[in-house]
Amino acid sequence: MLAFVTVGSTRFDSLVQAVLSQPVLSTLRLKGYTRLVVQCGNSSFELASSISGEKTLVVEREGVDIELWNFKPTLQKEYESADLVISHAGSGTILDVLRLGKPLIVVVNPTLLDNHQQELAAALADLGHLQHSTIPDLAQTIQSFEPSSLTPFPPFDGSRFAKLLDEHMGFS
Amino acid sequence: MSLSLFVLLVLLAALVRIYWILPSANTTRGKRKRSTEPRSLAVFLGSGGHTTEALALVSALDFSRYIPRTYIISQGDNLSAQKAASLELTKGVLSTKSKDEYTILKIPRARRVHQSLLTTPPTAVVALVACIYHIVIAPFFRKGRPVFADVLLVNGPGTCFTLCLGVYVNKFFGLPASQIIYVESFARVKSLSLSGRLLRPLADRFVVQWPQLLQYKGRGEYHGWLV
Repeated sequence: MLAFVTVGSTRFDSLVQAVLSQPVLSTLRLKGYTRLVVQCGNSSFELASSISGEKTLVVEREGVDIELWNFKPTLQKEYESADLVISHAGSGTILDVLRLGKPLIVVVNPTLLDNHQQELAAALADLGHLQHSTIPDLAQTIQSFEPSSLTPFPPFDGSRFAKLLDEHMGFS
Repeated sequence: MSLSLFVLLVLLAALVRIYWILPSANTTRGKRKRSTEPRSLAVFLGSGGHTTEALALVSALDFSRYIPRTYIISQGDNLSAQKAASLELTKGVLSTKSKDEYTILKIPRARRVHQSLLTTPPTAVVALVACIYHIVIAPFFRKGRPVFADVLLVNGPGTCFTLCLGVYVNKFFGLPASQIIYVESFARVKSLSLSGRLLRPLADRFVVQWPQLLQYKGRGEYHGWLV
């Protein structure tokens, strides 16, 4: 199985460092994730100097094949091929991943405590659509995470806005 | 003395006029005439998540009802322009005869990312002048109805405020003006964004996507998730 990690358009140093740490990698391996792809953005970590742009670094640790790179124009393919997505709290990422029906763990960024984006992740976790985690708890969260226990995210329903605007503009 | 009295009267009249054109606090339903004719639509694509959400809203619409469609982007935001063009393609309504059903309108940025606060006022004025040109002046030279768009859809960020100011210039002078529909981002769960707070009294419809945001006194409506 494949786990995909994304930090979004900026950086999330502690998330990249955590997913490359021994406890998280061993837990992933234990849960059957033999492949790990990490979109690192501009994060600073031990191997950051070995990657740039779409240039990929491949390493193997704790029995997990790891692929690291900075950015790609779109992550849609990565989401589609992943069995588990671990991400920052960006609303775009959250919507894209949940709409594909992929199990999602959102990790709180401790350096962005006042960021309203954390509110969205928390609210969706309360509704059971995703799993919320902190950096120190990440290994434990992956260990106990049961994707089947998540509440399916509703598909896009355009009819509500269409009805609202059509009524307002006199179409119905 | 008489001059200052005159200025005071003009100011007072302007204030009364502004109060008069503000949407009333408790009406959420529009009073548009029933129509079968297409309406023109303009939507501001504020880049990133704003663009994604705005285009999701537009994708829900019956395109035969909203013609022409204008996608307003900030200068240099080519990604939003590409995404708009790709939505138009996937909706598949671009037959040979309807090629001019949509346009992409570029406006100067009110404030660039990381721009110093000292240089923001001049660039904001340039942006406002551009918006007023497109919304107030340009429609006079266009064939058909002299209105920029029948409906203007915005969801932030703060720069969409300048577009709405342009609409209010029209309203102030009693010119045909767009209906302003504001949809707060799905990412706003407990607190309104800056653009939301600025536009809440000005928009004809103010829509939020989390019921917690209705706690704010005054205007706002919730119809579930829209994106």
